Amino acid sequence: MNSKKKGMTLATKQKAAGWIFLAPASIMIAIMSFYPMIRAFIISLQTGAGANMRFADPIFSNYKRILADKVFQQSIANTFLYLIIQVPIMLVLAILLAQLLNNKDLKFKGFFRTCVFLPCATSLVSYSLIFRSMFATDGLVNSVLMKLGILSTGYNFLGNATSAKIVIIIALIWRWTGYNMVFYLAGLQNIEYSVYEAAKIDGANGWKTFWKITVPLLKPTIIMTFIMSINGTLQLFDESMNLTKGGPANSTITMSHYVYNTCFVNVPNFGYAAAMSFIIFIMVAILAFINLKVGDTRD
Amino acid sequence: MKKKVLTVLLTGAMVASMAAGATVVSAEESDNTLTVWAWDQNFNIKSMQIAADQYAADHEGFSVDIIETSSDDCQTKLTTAANAGDYSTLPDIVLMQDNSYQKFLKAYPDAFTDLKDMDINWDDFGALKQSYSMVDDTHYGVPFDNGAVIACYRTDILEEAGYTLDDLTDITWSRFEEIGKDVHEKTGKYLLTSEATGGDTLMMMIQSCGANFVNEDGEAYIVGNETAEKCIDLYTELVQNDVVKLVNNWDEYISTITSGEAAGIVNGNWITATLMSTEDQKGLWGITTMPKVDGVDTATNYANNGGSSWYITSNCKNVELAEDFLASTFGSSTDFYDAILPETGAISCYLPAGESDVYNEPNEFFGGQSIFSTIVEYSSHIPEFTKTPYHYEARECVNTAVVNIVNGTSKEDALQEAQDTLAFKMTE
Repeated sequence: MNSKKKGMTLATKQKAAGWIFLAPASIMIAIMSFYPMIRAFIISLQTGAGANMRFADPIFSNYKRILADKVFQQSIANTFLYLIIQVPIMLVLAILLAQLLNNKDLKFKGFFRTCVFLPCATSLVSYSLIFRSMFATDGLVNSVLMKLGILSTGYNFLGNATSAKIVIIIALIWRWTGYNMVFYLAGLQNIEYSVYEAAKIDGANGWKTFWKITVPLLKPTIIMTFIMSINGTLQLFDESMNLTKGGPANSTITMSHYVYNTCFVNVPNFGYAAAMSFIIFIMVAILAFINLKVGDTRD
Repeated sequence: MKKKVLTVLLTGAMVASMAAGATVVSAEESDNTLTVWAWDQNFNIKSMQIAADQYAADHEGFSVDIIETSSDDCQTKLTTAANAGDYSTLPDIVLMQDNSYQKFLKAYPDAFTDLKDMDINWDDFGALKQSYSMVDDTHYGVPFDNGAVIACYRTDILEEAGYTLDDLTDITWSRFEEIGKDVHEKTGKYLLTSEATGGDTLMMMIQSCGANFVNEDGEAYIVGNETAEKCIDLYTELVQNDVVKLVNNWDEYISTITSGEAAGIVNGNWITATLMSTEDQKGLWGITTMPKVDGVDTATNYANNGGSSWYITSNCKNVELAEDFLASTFGSSTDFYDAILPETGAISCYLPAGESDVYNEPNEFFGGQSIFSTIVEYSSHIPEFTKTPYHYEARECVNTAVVNIVNGTSKEDALQEAQDTLAFKMTE
């Protein structure tokens, strides 16, 4: 009775408190994320150079335009090539490094972990520029190869389509392996040592323990790193922009780099750029969804 | 308690920083100050500062607030502001690359103030330079630095191969190729260095013929364009025969020069500032005209590349002041141009300035040549050509075509692809 007088039961009061706590973050997310997404979608239906935007006719013509855009298609192919080659190599390396550095008897553990993680502390632009100068015709890599007698003249790594792609992949692996390793390390520390001991007693060797214990128990972490890496690779920009400028002849350009060019280098066409961004968004969403489904073992 | 104090402090700091942000905005409102976006401390910014100082001498209280903004950032910031429809973040005056201006005027016609009422004798600037900042006979920009193309060669390397600067003056690209092959054979050096992706060499070649990769109606015109094909042929041959060293970016472009790997460079004359920073090559360089395209009637040994102009934005509150300032310094003062030349090396497009004594002084770096008057002379011969807002698209497409041809694609396919891509980019 008493509570009715006040007009609120304890439960509604708690609910109200919950909503109040949720509100600031939700409102911020709505304003900062959802509103721009809706606006971007509306813009993607518009066409015109710069400020002279008008609704396209037919309304989805920007999306249709993508089908005819050879450069964008090439950028999709490039980005997926990076994805398919770089992500598996990087994650396997990360998991191996994590396993090594999780060894109980290892000395200077902190030092090694810092070393592997350190590349992540460098900014994307600066490390791209450093790789660019390292792989220049008269750069560090060529000098070393020439001193060792492997090459007689400098090889133009960034001027050749295949080698330029390889350089980007090497750069990505260097930059992101340590980052993913940290997640695996955290995951490994959650696995009880007694589980391994039990396995040892049962006579499992290192290889078996790794596949039968480490990998299954790390699964949630692996899925998370997969989704993050896919997401990150599909949005790749800095490396293409700063390392190779998309060249030679668009052979290393990524989707985001092409979107950027459409807005800021060429005659600005924000409608078309927004449409391409949406396609990238859909690709990320589909891949993440597949990943979650594949990784989900609950009934 | 400690936490509370910290919270109060942090909140206080936040409020204070917000207030600070607000005061910065209001400080710009002052009547006699013009804000300017420009790049390069030693060149454009210094020139602007000298202009402001000279103008302030007879206009008390006048000052400019120059915000250093790189050329790329100028474009990105302008695009962002203009596309949001919010011009209030723009400065009063902005410096812009000549090659990019047509694009901005097409995309954001409201972002700039036209200069119809400006008190300036436009004919004191070369016709070509004016045309970069004009649309349908209306002027939008005050021309600043000169982009006349020069060819710079290492005279010591030429000598080693048995040539002099005269052998490379007023020649054609085929002759250039012969000499280049010979130089490469005898010295192992390349006669020219050029950027693969963002390079301007092809643009300079075609513009030296008074042509472009677009036709007069503004459509992509690569396939069937004899001049274009001729230029691409010549350029590809130069690359394939080790006459041109094709590099991937600007750093490598500069380093082929500083390391002495390349014996020559063809670019807008602003490149001299970069060359002159390699002190150990002092006295080894010489300048002359660029080669001309063979077999084209309209071909010349002159072109323009780069250079920039000053524009008044539509955010300018005091257009009269801005116009008067630009007109009485950049637009009419030989004293001003005499003052900036020794300090910055900025060569003017203001034709009367070229007759001044300062321009005839010999330059030690270029073996005693009086390069300034030479460059002013070159700039009077540059042919006009059709401008396009799609300059950067065209450049990208033809450069891609060249890389593809060098890598084995047939010329027909590569050109057709360039034509299609450019035409595609021109549609909306």
